[in-house]
Amino acid sequence: MPHQRFPKVEVLSVNPHEMKFILSETDTSMANALRRTMIAEVPTLAIDLVEFHENSTVLNDEYIAHRLGLIPLRYQLGDSLKAVDCQEVFLSHRDCVCYERCPRCSVEFELDVSYPVSSDDELFAPKTVTSTDLLSLNDQVQPAHFLSQDEQDESQDEGISIVKIGPGQRLKFKAIARLGISKEHAKWCPVAVATYRFWPIIHINHEQLATLSMDQKKELVQVCPDKILEIDGATGELRAVDNAWDICTYTEDLMYAQQAMKVRKEDDDFVSVTQSTDRFVFTVESTGAMDAEEIVFAALRVMKKRMTYLAQELENLKDM
Amino acid sequence: MSGMNAPERAAAFVLDEDAGEQKIEYSIDTKTENAGTFRFNKEDHTIGNLLRLQLLRDPNVKFAGYIHPHPLLNYIDLRVQTTTSNVAPTEVLSNAMEDLGSETDHLMMQFQEGLEQWKRDNENVMGGN
Repeated sequence: MPHQRFPKVEVLSVNPHEMKFILSETDTSMANALRRTMIAEVPTLAIDLVEFHENSTVLNDEYIAHRLGLIPLRYQLGDSLKAVDCQEVFLSHRDCVCYERCPRCSVEFELDVSYPVSSDDELFAPKTVTSTDLLSLNDQVQPAHFLSQDEQDESQDEGISIVKIGPGQRLKFKAIARLGISKEHAKWCPVAVATYRFWPIIHINHEQLATLSMDQKKELVQVCPDKILEIDGATGELRAVDNAWDICTYTEDLMYAQQAMKVRKEDDDFVSVTQSTDRFVFTVESTGAMDAEEIVFAALRVMKKRMTYLAQELENLKDM
Repeated sequence: MSGMNAPERAAAFVLDEDAGEQKIEYSIDTKTENAGTFRFNKEDHTIGNLLRLQLLRDPNVKFAGYIHPHPLLNYIDLRVQTTTSNVAPTEVLSNAMEDLGSETDHLMMQFQEGLEQWKRDNENVMGGN
């Protein structure tokens, strides 16, 4: 491995819906590749085909089919509420050998909700058809409702609303969910947010700072809208706050304030804030289709598979 | 009906094998020595930038650059030139891919360890989940 790098990961927080971690000792191409893969190329399940048997609701067929496609579907093993990566379990419908569809490449859902009309003359409140009414024929694949046991116990959620029906209306359909990636349609995107920020390198030039008065130092602290600097109570020294890396947004206020304070223009800066080129703070927020940590693993698997495939193709090219 | 001119979305990432499309096509540059251009079909900046920066880390590489010519055309061109004729562009590229594969493996392991470390650190706080 001649020029390989060895990246490091430090996990900051893990929740089923969101995770934050610090990736270091690698460069922007790897961070960006990971981000792009998480957004566009992680396979997930989503409803793709809908066969309507009856629809007397106020929304037309394709409108309801569009909404159904956007419902996040979780693949859960056993009794666990944790949603895992399903790219190994299901085949893409293009790769599957079956004629049209089979349990290996698709999951079937059914829904039949009606609002019976009684003979009373009262005012009827509309009934909401929600994702809880969707019945899956594969127990392990369910629409996303609760991400953890705590949420389930505390919540009064009724599910993702599909359509509201009034008296005498009925919605009956069969829906097929398939594996896909976000490049084909955004409904297959497992993340709501997958982003990274650069770690700030805050360099404080103490010799230059010695030429400033306490008032000027206080001004430097105040001028930054993120408040990444503070003055140490005991020594009167200017330093970065502990969570500066979390709150820094690289505004230029500090730079302008220092330009005004410098005796000569070509003097060194008192405080310089630059972006690190090899340390990144990632935030991954899931839509509910998979747990956040699973999304990162799935993205890494996709990247590895892609690399192996390309290496194989290159070998074939060399042999030709 | 909309979609008469729009290409199929899947054409952005599914290789059209019926039309004889290869994943990677290589053409040697006749005007510059030790140089060649790889065309990766149905790939984009994700792979392009990753390969380019990895190639630039190799001292045998004199030039490495990629371009995605047009958003509607689903391929990237990666041009590689090596310093000596003892090392071919294809060799340098396979080394780069191998290194990236190992780096991804390493990252997966590190990630797993990072998660376990976090779970250990927060076990006492959460009292098990």
